[in-house]
Amino acid sequence: MGVSKGDEVFINAIKAGNAAAFEAMVLKYQPKLMSSLIGYTKSPDQAEELCQKTFIKVWQKIDSFRGDSALFTWIYRIGINLAKNDFASSFSKSSKITDSLDQNEHDVPQYLSPETELIAKESENKIIDFIQTLDADTKTAFTLREIDGRTYDEIAQILKCPIGTVRSRIFRARQLILEFMDQENILNG
Amino acid sequence: MDKNLEKLSALYDGELSHKEMQEGIETMVSDEVLKETFKKFGLISELIQRHSEQKAPKVSFIKEYLSKINPVMSNLVTAAATVMITLIILYQFDDDRFQVDRGSSLQLSSAISSDQAKNQLLNADQNIMEHMIDIMQSNQSHNSQQVSKNWIPVGFSVNPDNPNQYSNGRNNLFFHLENKQLGIKKVRYFKANNNWIYLIPLQDGRLLTAYGDVPPSVADPMIQSIYQRK
Repeated sequence: MGVSKGDEVFINAIKAGNAAAFEAMVLKYQPKLMSSLIGYTKSPDQAEELCQKTFIKVWQKIDSFRGDSALFTWIYRIGINLAKNDFASSFSKSSKITDSLDQNEHDVPQYLSPETELIAKESENKIIDFIQTLDADTKTAFTLREIDGRTYDEIAQILKCPIGTVRSRIFRARQLILEFMDQENILNG
Repeated sequence: MDKNLEKLSALYDGELSHKEMQEGIETMVSDEVLKETFKKFGLISELIQRHSEQKAPKVSFIKEYLSKINPVMSNLVTAAATVMITLIILYQFDDDRFQVDRGSSLQLSSAISSDQAKNQLLNADQNIMEHMIDIMQSNQSHNSQQVSKNWIPVGFSVNPDNPNQYSNGRNNLFFHLENKQLGIKKVRYFKANNNWIYLIPLQDGRLLTAYGDVPPSVADPMIQSIYQRK
């Protein structure tokens, strides 16, 4: 799978030095990367540190991204390689990270908070259960997007409805989930 | 505000024009509320995708099960949420009305995301599934028995090019008649994308299957009239 249209915008803007695009890209992919890194390291703290290092490296190396894989796949590979090297370096005092990271070169913005949150396990089931209660049209459009990774155009063809309807349904699903999270005080501290 | 958030949602999915994307990114990062919402979109995505991966083995199991029955059905499942098969068990027919037992309705939409739906599918009688798939694949009646013209819904007439097809100009319907009822005691109907399959057990022990893009509102009088004819 290559680069999606949306990611292409991120990539080109980041290559041009657009910090806003970089920030948006981090916001989008940080939860998935954190989740993967926590799975790999079993340590939220270590995952947090690796996550920061990964995005610094993404910023530094974006010019070398050729676009022959999805953007997140590339980010994920960087993160996992850093995690492997981190793991190896814990057995050896000499760092195995081939590319040294100059962390002063580009600060990862503050939105990567020290207590980077993922949705807690106990809230997870509540949200999943809530999604099951969405009406069929909304739920189908939303899951086609989120699980199957379909484009709006593909979803419109599958559901035989206009793209604008697909866009509204997906947004509606997100809006309802956010409202539910608010009601349940999920992620509100 | 909703329009802005809807646009943000489309931005998250990369479904805006290049120019809108660029503008949207600038707007979003300078607005704390939009930024927080965008971040939450990411958290929701992560949660759903992780949950979906955890559930993958069960979906694979269903695919494996269905592939044994019929590869077409398996492909339908592969298309995950593309599958919009709705199995709705109707109340036993009475003379009053065409009732739907909402409590026992089953939807296999949404990437087959419901465990209950999966289990019900697995528990569904294999003969019925096979029959339904045969009907979906054949797309036409191939029974040797004559379908009674009295069963044809009002407004439908036979297609001169295909004597097994009936049409009212908008909807098309095929009939299939079997000598065995496959254990079906109640009228059931299945929805597959825009098509419907009605399994109608007849009083003489045969099973009438009607297949086509005919919604229940149109099929209702047809089924009523079949049952009213003692």
